Amino acid sequence: MAENIKMVEAPAGFSGEGFFATSLDKVVGLARSKSLWPLPFATSCCGIEFMATMAPHYDLARFGSERPSFSPRQADMLLVMGTIAKKMAPVLRQVYEQMAEPRWVISVGACACSGGVFDTYSVLQGIDKVIPVDVYVPGCPPRPEQILDGIMKLQELVKNEKMSRRDSPEYKALLATYGININ
Amino acid sequence: MYSNLSFIPILIQFVFVAGFIATMIAISHYVGPKRHSKNKDANFECGIKQYGNARIPFSVKYFLVAILFVLFDVEVIFLYPWAVNFRDFGVDGLWKMAMFMGLLLVGFFYVLKKGALEWE
Amino acid sequence: MSLTNEIIKQKVEEKFGESVKAFTEADFGLLTFEVDRAKAIDLMQFLRDDETLRFNFLTTMCGVHYPDNELERQFAVVYHMHNWLDNVRIRFKAFLNGDNPEVESATRLFLTANWMEREAYDFYGIAFTGHPDLRRILNMDEMVSFPMRKQFPLEDGGRTDKDDRYFGREPQNSNLN
Repeated sequence: MAENIKMVEAPAGFSGEGFFATSLDKVVGLARSKSLWPLPFATSCCGIEFMATMAPHYDLARFGSERPSFSPRQADMLLVMGTIAKKMAPVLRQVYEQMAEPRWVISVGACACSGGVFDTYSVLQGIDKVIPVDVYVPGCPPRPEQILDGIMKLQELVKNEKMSRRDSPEYKALLATYGININ
Repeated sequence: MYSNLSFIPILIQFVFVAGFIATMIAISHYVGPKRHSKNKDANFECGIKQYGNARIPFSVKYFLVAILFVLFDVEVIFLYPWAVNFRDFGVDGLWKMAMFMGLLLVGFFYVLKKGALEWE
Repeated sequence: MSLTNEIIKQKVEEKFGESVKAFTEADFGLLTFEVDRAKAIDLMQFLRDDETLRFNFLTTMCGVHYPDNELERQFAVVYHMHNWLDNVRIRFKAFLNGDNPEVESATRLFLTANWMEREAYDFYGIAFTGHPDLRRILNMDEMVSFPMRKQFPLEDGGRTDKDDRYFGREPQNSNLN
């Protein structure tokens, strides 16, 4: 056997002869983190880097993102890649609001994180002005390895998220700061 | 040998399967978490505002082509068993099938004369 | 015989006389001249319909803002036309008043002018009379400023992460803190 194999650790739990017991949060978190279906909201150059990430060389599908969907109802994570103009901001917000929970947002590239090079009248200076963001991937454009790193960080976030987070008042307060009132 | 009663287990299996599916759907519908908001429940229109109704009148020629296809396709389906037993039915079968197809052919000529298959 | 700039100049001056001026061929032989605001669209129609001139294609049109000019010449609308049949291009400008820039719409002659004029309106505020649907095309509908006018800032003003040292801004001329 080779020595360099990195084994994934099992979550903390109680194991015995032919069974392993752990908390539901951990199991669900593990399942969710390994099957994040992306919604590629690709607007510009970072979208091209995403295409390279989806292609076989860097292969996003091995992280569980086998099925990218352009319908928010069927996607888990919203990958905002590219410059978002102010005219596009309400569209982005509507798409985020129509996603089914649990949902996460990764902002890929400098333009999505903060407006990037384009500090101008027409570009939204960062998508966190309209939607809550979980992971920021800087770069202009970020290499596919960086995008994959961002997704891996999101996987860590998802793995450790409690199932009750989406019902909590802090979450509702967070959404309320963006004007999204969900009941 | 097999009597009708020996197929009862299949019926029981079918009831179990249907019951299981219905139960799962019902449980996930009643127990699952729900989120509603005005924007979330709106139809998905790629993020832009929705205008008007999606149901607009469309041309009847699509319906005519589809319905005539169904009719003549069912006729073809009736021809398959005859094709399999062609020799056994003999001349008698040929005459009967010719009558069947002739009746449908009259209908076909009516369709052609009326111009129902004209596309423009 | 081919359609030269001399012939075009002569025909245009013959029809419009005092309304056209400042003929020049400085830009690589492209005939450029100015026309009065009121006669701009009549000139375009003449260029399109005349049998010798036959400028059948409106290549583009745009707006320009000259804040340092006198009040009557602060905005300009520049039209480029192209004669496909003789392969000749032409450019003419109409200067507009700074407080109230308006000119007749070219949509009755060329349908493409519809969006081009909406863009000129969106960025400069130039009103095109007779335009069927004059509203903003590229910027968001709620915007109140006309961004390409020189008095409006290029930057968004909401950025807090830009370091003035890297942008060559001294404390007295930077508009961030």
